[in-house]
Amino acid sequence: MSDARQQILSRIRHATSGPAAVDSDVPRNYIRRGSLDETARLSLMVERLQEYDADVVECTLGDLPACIADRLQSSGKQTFVAPPGLPAEWLARGFDWKIDHALTHAEIEACDGVVTACFAGVADSGTIVLHHSASEGRRILTLLPDWHLCVVRRSQIVETLPEYFARCLQPPSLATYISGPSATADIEMTRIKGVHGPRFLHVILVHDEPATEV
Amino acid sequence: MTPVDLDPRTAPPFPQAALPILRNTQLRKNVAHATDVILAKRARLVAEKTDWQQLRTAAAAIKDDVLGHLDQYLVEFEERCTAAGGHVHWASDAAEARRIVVDILRAEKATEVIKIKTMTSAEIQLNPALEAAGIKAVETDLAELILQLGDDEPSHIVAPALHVNRSQVREIFARRMGLAELTDDPEALTAAARAYLRKKFLSVDAAICGANFLVAETGAVTIVESEGNGRMCLTLPRTLIALSGIEKVVPTFRDLEVMLQVLARSATGERMNPYSSLWTGVTAGDGPQNFHVVLLDNGRSPILAHHTERQTLRCIRCAACQNTCPVYRQTGGHAYGSVYGGPIGAILTPQLMHMDHAQTLPFASSLCAACYEVCPVKINIPEVLIELRAQVVDRERKQAARAFDLMYIGMRVANSIFASAWRFRLAQRLGRIALRPFTRKDGWIHALPSLGSRWTMTRDLRGFPDQTFREWWASRPKEKS
Repeated sequence: MSDARQQILSRIRHATSGPAAVDSDVPRNYIRRGSLDETARLSLMVERLQEYDADVVECTLGDLPACIADRLQSSGKQTFVAPPGLPAEWLARGFDWKIDHALTHAEIEACDGVVTACFAGVADSGTIVLHHSASEGRRILTLLPDWHLCVVRRSQIVETLPEYFARCLQPPSLATYISGPSATADIEMTRIKGVHGPRFLHVILVHDEPATEV
Repeated sequence: MTPVDLDPRTAPPFPQAALPILRNTQLRKNVAHATDVILAKRARLVAEKTDWQQLRTAAAAIKDDVLGHLDQYLVEFEERCTAAGGHVHWASDAAEARRIVVDILRAEKATEVIKIKTMTSAEIQLNPALEAAGIKAVETDLAELILQLGDDEPSHIVAPALHVNRSQVREIFARRMGLAELTDDPEALTAAARAYLRKKFLSVDAAICGANFLVAETGAVTIVESEGNGRMCLTLPRTLIALSGIEKVVPTFRDLEVMLQVLARSATGERMNPYSSLWTGVTAGDGPQNFHVVLLDNGRSPILAHHTERQTLRCIRCAACQNTCPVYRQTGGHAYGSVYGGPIGAILTPQLMHMDHAQTLPFASSLCAACYEVCPVKINIPEVLIELRAQVVDRERKQAARAFDLMYIGMRVANSIFASAWRFRLAQRLGRIALRPFTRKDGWIHALPSLGSRWTMTRDLRGFPDQTFREWWASRPKEKS
């Protein structure tokens, strides 16, 4: 390998070989597991999403296709892009669907909105996590269109960020963490929505399991 | 305005650079406003986090582990990233890093490159090198775009254009984008930037980014951002080059559960920044198919050798120390003569320069320790500042010219006085006599002549009391036992 590699590594080894090196375990006594019951966890998720100006509606699993159709309808938009693994019943009739079988950037850019599933939701920060599976789509899909509708199942929502990490049995090779729509505060710290990413984030929270009352 | 010099080798010393800024009331107002807003948001969100101190402790411990075994983690990262289809390059110094980046872009026949905000790129002064190679760099972060179009330099690690206000942004955009009708409404200004950059995102085939975290375990790279310009650069072009300091590595994916929690809260006062991206090498059909990581040393590795200074490299570039620093809040970032301003810059820059330049920076602090208190990775900045001050003085002491320097003569005299009880008592008596003519009735000295005026110019000095403690002790009525 290159000289620089050898140089840098030997400089580091030289500098870290002394007594300054102290080995100790990382103390992980921060909050790992949330303390809220399911109802409180879900309402926290909704509250945090709404703080980001995301639009949130809830529905049952059976009503999901109708709910998606309703959100699309009220968006006033016509052309939507969908990842290839999106369930067929989510593709509401009456709209133009582009299924992403290697669409070009220009084709995606031409779409008004995008509908995807997600990997997880983190209530504490109102974060939606995409691991870009076949139903979540390539990264570019949830970026170019100005309007994003994301379906989050109740069972996917955890309270704390460490709980999400605990759910990752394998580290993902691609991941995007979305906490509210694209924003900037670069001009006088005034928060402006929608610089480059989607300006409108819509979330459907699906009650996919019977509530387990404590 | 005089051009801003952020090269520590040539920048004027801090006190000299700070003076014109202190007279620039507009800039100070802009900096004060921005830092006040971020500080208030940060304070609110840190207060709601009941395990904040535990998170800080864990974050510091993770980085200490990294720094103690940096060679192993870098090699592990290289191996995993390469296995995932990435190319890893090593750059000893800024010149080597610039050459690597330019060579990659030349091989791709790139004439233009889009960039995500990266302080490391500013550190190695990459943009001028790209320009010299005939490659046009386009900054895509809103703040960086403002600076690039306004021929200005970054003054803050997270919000590099916080010293510029909306009317100044309007003027720059109107002039450089040819938009005479543009208003100074931040929404309109942001929309102008969106339209200006959209074409670039969709047409430019190469991008440069920094890195917030490199994950040794998986070879993944993480970028946190707000605007989505990052995601554009990370997914649209064919070629992507990530430029990262060697200290940015974390051991495992799971360590991000700590880092992501402390970073956004500290940097922008958000529970989580709008977008964080993580990718590993190359993914077929998704994003750049030609991916390079440049690991930059540029003065970092020697910092590891000393226990006190090593903590400098824990820094995750959140800029909380800048926002809270009473010195930075008055001078802004440009006075620090480096892309890294504020308390972290005051300790990082001179060390990156092997203490050969920027020697005034460790003194640009009141040692109030507000920076230590807000630091998410618990860097004891005052401790490092004092250590570096000692190093600067140790060097200066050896210089021949210092033999006649009044301050050094004074220090030597003081040393001799404090070393002996009788010399100390004599000095007290002489001092009392000498200062009596300057002491007013209220017991304070408001003005001193000559060198002493440097002190009294900005603060009053308590006059000598009529009696020292020892004199009082000796003269007090003895109690009968």
